Amino acid sequence: MNTLDKSSNKIDYKGEGFKTKNLFNVIYVEEAAFKYPITKEVLDKYCNLQVITIRHYKDVFNRTNQHFQIQKQYQSLILAVKDKPFLYEGPQVCQNFGYPNFYYTSFLLNCIFDCGYCYLQGMYNSANIVAFVNVEDFKNSIEQESLKKPVFLAVSYDTDLIGFYNIIPYIDYFYGFFKMHPALTVEIRTKSGNQSFYKTHTALDNIVIAFTLSPQEIIEKYEKNTPPLKTRIKAIKTALDQGFKVRICLDPVFINPVADHLYEPFYEYVFSEINANKILDLSFGFFRMSKEFFKRIKKQSEYSDLFLDEYCLNENVISYPKEYQNNIMTRHYQILTNYMKKEKIFSL
Amino acid sequence: MVFIVTALMIEAAPIIEYYSLKKDMSVKAFQVYKNSDMVLIISGVGKIKSAMAVVHLLSIYNKGSKMDGSDVYSNDILVNIGLCGAGDSNYDIGRLLIINKVTDMDTGRDYYPDVFCGKNLPSVSLCCYSRPIKSKDMKVFCDMESAGIMEATKKFFYAHQVLILKVISDYLAPEKLDKKFLKSLIENNITLIDNTLREVKYLNEKFKKFSLNEEESKFVEKIVKNLKFTDMMKQIIVKDIVNAKKKGTDVLNVLGFSLESKVNSKLEGKKIFEHIRQKLK
Ligand code: SF4
Repeated sequence: MNTLDKSSNKIDYKGEGFKTKNLFNVIYVEEAAFKYPITKEVLDKYCNLQVITIRHYKDVFNRTNQHFQIQKQYQSLILAVKDKPFLYEGPQVCQNFGYPNFYYTSFLLNCIFDCGYCYLQGMYNSANIVAFVNVEDFKNSIEQESLKKPVFLAVSYDTDLIGFYNIIPYIDYFYGFFKMHPALTVEIRTKSGNQSFYKTHTALDNIVIAFTLSPQEIIEKYEKNTPPLKTRIKAIKTALDQGFKVRICLDPVFINPVADHLYEPFYEYVFSEINANKILDLSFGFFRMSKEFFKRIKKQSEYSDLFLDEYCLNENVISYPKEYQNNIMTRHYQILTNYMKKEKIFSL
Repeated sequence: MVFIVTALMIEAAPIIEYYSLKKDMSVKAFQVYKNSDMVLIISGVGKIKSAMAVVHLLSIYNKGSKMDGSDVYSNDILVNIGLCGAGDSNYDIGRLLIINKVTDMDTGRDYYPDVFCGKNLPSVSLCCYSRPIKSKDMKVFCDMESAGIMEATKKFFYAHQVLILKVISDYLAPEKLDKKFLKSLIENNITLIDNTLREVKYLNEKFKKFSLNEEESKFVEKIVKNLKFTDMMKQIIVKDIVNAKKKGTDVLNVLGFSLESKVNSKLEGKKIFEHIRQKLK
């Protein structure tokens, strides 16, 4: 179970793949952020951490000479006030699950986990985490959009909100709001094993918890600081038991001679543990990244060996050649459709 | 390489002594002292002079250090060591501070070094002024060089490779200060300074595993010379070597053949260049 020792700033994710003594190096706080309740809560919780006042989060976050990988080991938290826009159109490389009005929003920039394949390394100059404290402004903006039409809103892109739950429980702050807006379908994507939210909140019809799963070997190699597969499965079971809608995301799937052997036993294991009939749907996607992010990651001095593989460029997205994808996808679908109807499997 | 910038000789003297630095007589524009892995420059007072000193140092001593294919000098660190005034008497005179934020009081611009080391030192913000400050009402720490250091280093160093270390010399009443006393302030902190430098060096080393080691760097320099490679070709080869190392290739073994090769024209060099790139794939 996740335990947070509030007085000592030590977080202990025993058995959940993440363990560190000093969670943050320092906390930067925007001058304008001090007046918000979240800021006060965070500063009370981490009262022994150095606080540095800043004018604007971009002064720290956008510096051009940050070493992403070293900073990742000494992450700082930046508390900031978000300015417009609060909603972004869903990106092309992400699945919209059939919803025409697909948006995403980011309460957090960056993540406590450290996946070698993560596009955030190419998207931001910094590995520090920005947490926006003006939740009411987010709500107003989301409300305006969702009153006009039904909206599919991804709230845990560019981060892992449930992984961050013990630091700032954003989903608690938004739970009532989501409850009041049934036309809003919210997806919370996570690799976390933290079960607190599912245990303390009643499931809502318009909240989907999307668990990203990978074979344990892939987790160990490329998903640093994330919980092991077993722990994620446990969290899925709890979420299902509590009545939450659960999506499984098999994303990113890798194609290489080693990875190819891992998926069949992995699927068998997952569906021997989880009743596939209870799963809302499944999303499937191969490793892919925008050309710009890929290039920026390769410019850094340290990056995962994944970026040394041969890929193809298609419409500005780097991924495996289409014919590989089709072959491998057919094989994966053959196995997956043993457990789940094809209509419930979404792929890009 | 550790680069140290101090404004004055009284700040530099204890460091020169501690690390047994010798004067580099070949440098005329500034007073420079060095040993095999450290260079100290005395910049003079003020942020323009400190910025000039940084750039001068790098132009002389840092050629060829960019061996990991990135835009910054990933193996080096730059430290500004000096005295500062304190408007906050909660800290004793003689206390060594590590700076987490520098504000240029002329431009209002803020700079943020990434402070990952020196955790046992008080970490504070520093205001960089163009002239000495005497007001006792200001709850700030002040110096006159840090903004120049931050501005000049940001293109050449990662944010964690630049350290600003300051020793409190006065409570914003600088006229009363005696030279011997000032020198002793740095002297008394020299072990703490040394420990902090070691920590940053260690951190750099830890994350350097894929950049070129000394033997590989020498190897690259040699083939670049023998095979008449351009700077661009050198950069490409360095990047290829780094990538090959990531895949676990024993680079020196694989490229051993190229060490014996010599060429008479750039065209011949280009052929071997392509061959080397193939071997590294
Ligand atoms: S969990 Fe997601 S957002 Fe976080 S590091 Fe991994 S891929 Fe990136």
